[in-house]
Amino acid sequence: MLARIKSKWTYLVSAALLVFLILIPFDWFLGHYTTLMIFIGISTMVTVGLCLLMGYTGQVSLGQAAFYGIGAYFSAVLSKTYGVNPWLAMLIAAAATGAFAYVIGYPIFRLRGNYLAMATLGLGLIIWILFRQLSQFTGGPDGMAGIPFLSVGGFVFDTSFKRYFLVWFFCLAILFISQNIVRSRTGRALRAIHGSEAAAESVGIDVTRFKVKIFVLSAVYASLAGSLLVHHLRFVSPQPFDFLASIKFVVMAVIGGLASIWGAIFGAGATRILSDELMFRFGEWDVVIYGLILMLVMIFMPEGLFVRLRQLLERWRLRHTWREAEP
Amino acid sequence: MSQPILETKSVSKVFGGLVAVDKVDLKIEAGKITAIIGPNGAGKTTLFNLITGVYPASDGEIFFQGKPLKNIPAHKRVALGIARTFQNVLLFGNMTVLENIMTGQHPRSHYGFLGAALRLPRAHREEETIYLNAMKYLNMVGLGAYAEQNALSLPLGQQKLLAIARAMATEPQLLLLDEPGAGLNLLEKRELSDLIHRIREMGTTVVLVEHDMPLVMGIAEWVIVLDSGQKIAEGTAAQVQKDERVISAYLGEEVE
Repeated sequence: MLARIKSKWTYLVSAALLVFLILIPFDWFLGHYTTLMIFIGISTMVTVGLCLLMGYTGQVSLGQAAFYGIGAYFSAVLSKTYGVNPWLAMLIAAAATGAFAYVIGYPIFRLRGNYLAMATLGLGLIIWILFRQLSQFTGGPDGMAGIPFLSVGGFVFDTSFKRYFLVWFFCLAILFISQNIVRSRTGRALRAIHGSEAAAESVGIDVTRFKVKIFVLSAVYASLAGSLLVHHLRFVSPQPFDFLASIKFVVMAVIGGLASIWGAIFGAGATRILSDELMFRFGEWDVVIYGLILMLVMIFMPEGLFVRLRQLLERWRLRHTWREAEP
Repeated sequence: MSQPILETKSVSKVFGGLVAVDKVDLKIEAGKITAIIGPNGAGKTTLFNLITGVYPASDGEIFFQGKPLKNIPAHKRVALGIARTFQNVLLFGNMTVLENIMTGQHPRSHYGFLGAALRLPRAHREEETIYLNAMKYLNMVGLGAYAEQNALSLPLGQQKLLAIARAMATEPQLLLLDEPGAGLNLLEKRELSDLIHRIREMGTTVVLVEHDMPLVMGIAEWVIVLDSGQKIAEGTAAQVQKDERVISAYLGEEVE
């Protein structure tokens, strides 16, 4: 009974949100926020990967911006310098990032907890330095402009309005896929690893292999997001892929509720809006604020802000339903 | 005795300078309930860890259904048919009771990331089977009413039953139970021995490490006694109880 009420409710809310999402970029609605929403969509793609990795599997990554950056630079360099078709470049970027994550995955997942965090942090820093130093390919710290738009047939994604739909198509596809994974045999295996590695092994789960696989998947998500970013901005520089970016993704995942796929949109949105509207006032102190948010959420709402809000809403709704049922 | 389901030949495990298991020879007969007993630190759990592949043996060999287990990683041994429970239960606290058992079906199902991501028909079919099998094992241990509860919300006695159900969901030929009776009250222990009997009737060989002597004497058809990593006696419960070395291992030897 309860389950049926819930599913009907969920269905209605999802439909309403989808309509809302489709209407946002129209000028008579919230067209002003189109660009912001594009960035939120791109950030969400990275955050979902991090949710799968951290929230479900319990493995920290403080270097997710590295994969985001690798995807971005592969797309940028291949499509601009070598004239490769942008879609093909995007595919190559994703494959290369995935392969890279696979290769470093096995040694890196010999580590656990804090050591894993340190290793991924180091990875993020190294890759960021490479973006700056390999200037003959990447344009160095100044970056590289003139990256082509994506296009399908003769249809060019040359306005924010068009790119909004492109980005959110990718974003929702990734959310949908992730949701399916979470609710499957694979999802249970990942959560089992989070619950107890020894017990996971005792029911025949290849712990390291699953960790590496989900790491690769999160890297591919980040890479796709990076590719979309450069084809949106038509410019790439090392700045969006620095250490702070990795931390921001963690903040997004934590605010969204680590073990909640759809919470990623909320986490990415809240963090992005916060950083655009508020953080610049703090100058370089913004790192401190992010740290503070991270600490507060972890201490008071370890299940994440989004999940907590949803619980409160659920409780309120149940109480409401009960009252109505009373004679 | 026909071919034993599990056989160890002179198996040893050394941690630093400590010899935890010392040249142990075991033959576990298929279809029976065998108990491994011994004082604390006798090497019982270490032996389980060697059999399940948590760490490799320092010396000696282990055979399961005649096949050597050397170099087979722990997760693959489960697929071969060796399941276990833990002394400290180790349920998945981030899952419901039912999901814990469904996870036990992991080695008996095959669809992976792609099947899950795209909801392929094969994934649907397998998921259906996983669900039905999990329900079967859930009801076997009598926890059907708690399917949707968080696993750790159960009292310890039921948590231990759930851990057994999860292990049974891997559909093993050999089930290793590490102190299944510890922390249970009399009633729960009776349920436990009943369950172990039913598991044997399903055709699964059971080996248990246990401290609770009445429980062991009640269900074990064969008892193996370890002390300081060595096998000091084996036989039926009655035989073992009379053995001089067993008595001295438990009560201590007289100082001469």
